[in-house]
Amino acid sequence: MSSATSSTTHGSAVQRWLAPIVWLSLLLLLTLGMGHLEWLFRLLEPDLRQVIYRRADFLTLLGQHVLVVGIASLLAVALGVAAAVAVTREFGRDFLPLVSQLASIGQTFPPVAVLALAVPALGFGTLPIIVALLLYGLLPIVRNTLAGIGSIDPQVHEAARAMGMTPWQVLRQVELPLAAPFILAGIRTSVTINIATAALGTTVGASNLGDPIISGIVNGNTAYIVQGAVLIGLLALAVDSLFERLQRRG
Amino acid sequence: MIELFDVTKRFGDETAVDGISLRVEKGELCALVGTSGCGKSTTLRMINRLIEHDGGEIHLDGQPVRSFDEVALRRRIGYVIQSTGLFPHWTVARNIGLVPRLLKWPKGKVRDRVEELMQLLGLPVAEFADKYPRQLSGGQAQRVGVARALAADPDILLMDEPFGALDPITRATLQDELRVLQARLHKTVVFVTHDMDEALALADRLVVMHQGRIVQQGSPVELLREPANPFVESLLGGMDRGLKEAALIQVSEHMLPLGPRLLASERIPYGASLSQALSVMLWHRVDRLTVVDEEDIPIGELSLRRLLGAKAA
Amino acid sequence: MGETRQSPNWVLSSLMLAATAAWLTLDAVSVAPNRIVPGTPYAALEVVGGWPALLMAVPMLAVVVLAWRPNRKGLTLSLGVVMALLALLPLWLAAATAVLVTPDMPQARVGIGSALWLLLFLLLLVLIELRTRLGMSRALGWLLLVPMLLGWWLALSLWLEPLALLREYHARSDQFASAVQQHLALVGAAVGASLVVASLLVLAMRRHTGVRRVGFGVLNFLQTIPSLALFGLLLAPLAWLGARVDWLAALGVSGIGWAPAFLALLGYSLLPMVRNIFVALEEVDPAVIESARGMGMARRQVFLQVRLPLALPVVLEGVRITTVQAIGLTAVAALIGAGGLGTFIFQGLGQAAMDMVLLGALPIIGLALVADALIGALSERLRPGGAA
Repeated sequence: MSSATSSTTHGSAVQRWLAPIVWLSLLLLLTLGMGHLEWLFRLLEPDLRQVIYRRADFLTLLGQHVLVVGIASLLAVALGVAAAVAVTREFGRDFLPLVSQLASIGQTFPPVAVLALAVPALGFGTLPIIVALLLYGLLPIVRNTLAGIGSIDPQVHEAARAMGMTPWQVLRQVELPLAAPFILAGIRTSVTINIATAALGTTVGASNLGDPIISGIVNGNTAYIVQGAVLIGLLALAVDSLFERLQRRG
Repeated sequence: MIELFDVTKRFGDETAVDGISLRVEKGELCALVGTSGCGKSTTLRMINRLIEHDGGEIHLDGQPVRSFDEVALRRRIGYVIQSTGLFPHWTVARNIGLVPRLLKWPKGKVRDRVEELMQLLGLPVAEFADKYPRQLSGGQAQRVGVARALAADPDILLMDEPFGALDPITRATLQDELRVLQARLHKTVVFVTHDMDEALALADRLVVMHQGRIVQQGSPVELLREPANPFVESLLGGMDRGLKEAALIQVSEHMLPLGPRLLASERIPYGASLSQALSVMLWHRVDRLTVVDEEDIPIGELSLRRLLGAKAA
Repeated sequence: MGETRQSPNWVLSSLMLAATAAWLTLDAVSVAPNRIVPGTPYAALEVVGGWPALLMAVPMLAVVVLAWRPNRKGLTLSLGVVMALLALLPLWLAAATAVLVTPDMPQARVGIGSALWLLLFLLLLVLIELRTRLGMSRALGWLLLVPMLLGWWLALSLWLEPLALLREYHARSDQFASAVQQHLALVGAAVGASLVVASLLVLAMRRHTGVRRVGFGVLNFLQTIPSLALFGLLLAPLAWLGARVDWLAALGVSGIGWAPAFLALLGYSLLPMVRNIFVALEEVDPAVIESARGMGMARRQVFLQVRLPLALPVVLEGVRITTVQAIGLTAVAALIGAGGLGTFIFQGLGQAAMDMVLLGALPIIGLALVADALIGALSERLRPGGAA
């Protein structure tokens, strides 16, 4: 083993997770301590009365954003992977072409439009946003899981059955681990899109990190906008770099 | 012991296997040979129920295969395929230990068994245990495949063109090793191949199939000497049958002890086949060879006349 | 004809059964005397004694039966039935409108109920399934929608005046037209500009590995930032710029409007565009390049006559992805005053006027689907040796 490889496996635990840790820490610091930067924002908007968004606590907004995206994503992963698995089994094979086509076509729909359509159907509030995020988030996950399972050499599949693995064992020990990198990539895409779409929450009656931005746009308060944008940007970067590291590890 | 009684398999309108009856004794290596599409792979896969037979009966040691739970059945049978089917995300050691783990063997026992098999198959443990299938050569990968099939010490081994994807040298090496292994382990083996030389080299019993039916079965020598029809005759080599039969006989079986005469100048190892001896005689344009052992010490002599009189047992 | 026995098509049967159930149980239309009062819902069976509805249910069940033994004849018949049903739906709606809207309701508004939406959705799914099973090409698949579109066009122009959605449109038709124009202009400009910029970037990247790493790094970073945030962040600098530099202000560069939207769209479009162009140029079969060089073509000739044409389909794929993405992002840009169809969505949400929301959302989806289909078809056409 060359010394180069051993040095990257040693200090690497902290080194590898450095990027997500940095983004996450910045995010938390700013969420909790935005008030301390009032002087900075005064420079930006010297004439306005209020420069720090105070209609709601940043921590609460962050929490609500994470909650909405989190719930929708968890459900999307559970349902998406289950659906893709079901459709690649013997009993579900009939539905494979349709599901596959739907997952492709669905991704052409702009997420904003899906969010907008959820309101006439479900009203205002947190529910339509979760449903819209869930529906839209399903697509990359289903597509990627199908691709992952489809990428497995059928001979490997046959060997697994021939060795005496039950169908469930084949799924759990062979198919899912081999499809995992694809699935992870799908989840990463899904969550990133969801963080962005959820920001429009105020327009449908759910409050989260998009509020200061929209409020800032409406009221012409650039400081608000920057606060919201920076926080949501940091959230997106933290989550995305976290997934990136997870993908590298696999 | 494996028995097939009038077994049939249809796919839609096509009959892939048409009423074949076969018996493989315990410890015997039975080779199924034939051209593509003759039903040999299908027959193989009906034994471990990867494919369900439509008609007839398949018995293992007297019991119908249908009476066993199919998963339990497969864990008792070793299966080797051409592309190995090794799990790409598992190390060599983990791949080999698959069936023992499925059978819930204690960890220590699994580890010991994996090491034992790796040594048996010529894969040094320290070097290969933690490698991944993509890091192996074709020959190494197939050794792992065979090790995996033998891991739970099954009585029966099913092999579907296992060496078909390998280069000729590796193929010959693995064939020899399989022969040695089989001499040691005496598994009941059903071996599918379209390579007649391979079948002749390895089989105790040879079964020729064509279009879903068995055309002839018997020992290799029987089929060589008494082919049932021109098809079998040409499959077994046509005009080359003489050489093929000679390939089955070892020099040591027909050499004469060293006599008072001067030693022949050209040598042949005692383990070589008569066809190789003939080739050496042709090459050097001689009609006598000195037979030597591993240390190159003369132990006998072989003449062309003696060779011509030799018959396989 | 030697028909092999086939198993029933469960997809078709389950979808059509669901469609029939929805049609016969849920509300199909709602009629309100004016804009303010909520509408009275009617199930399909309640309209004109339900006979038209039942008549339409018969072919639906017929498809369920046909799905039991799905041979080619049966599937083609089902396809015809489904296409007819899709074309009949707007006509049924027109008939229902004529019956339910009495002359004493001049301001009446008709809303489409969940039964109709669901039926539309399920029938489209069935169409997709049939198209796949019959092995029809993509182009032919789009043609299948023509009868339906004709039906809607006919109904909308002649008999569906009280339809809420239509009333909304008529009330704002000028605004709608300019919104569509703004939307298309912004998307076109952004995609066009990104094509140019991306091409230049890729050429630089292919020469220098450093540029490649930094370039992809920056673009990936940009792509991760939520669009709303980026739009918002560009407002201040552009406002500042517009205030300071006169000729920019004359062009319309200011804190709101098209400038920040265009810049952000450009930024978002660059990553898929750069990635696709880069891959397209890199992945041309090296054997082809080598043989071209071997025959004595100069570097530039190889590039222009071999690499570029072979890379074109992949580049078009990039254009397709970018365009669809841009259509969606432009909708969000409505929030910063860039105009476009997004304005209807957000105004509608603000006023809780669902029909206005639909007026914005449906055309956006339609635009995205059409752009995707057209550019996708072009890309397929340009693939060397025909479609892959």
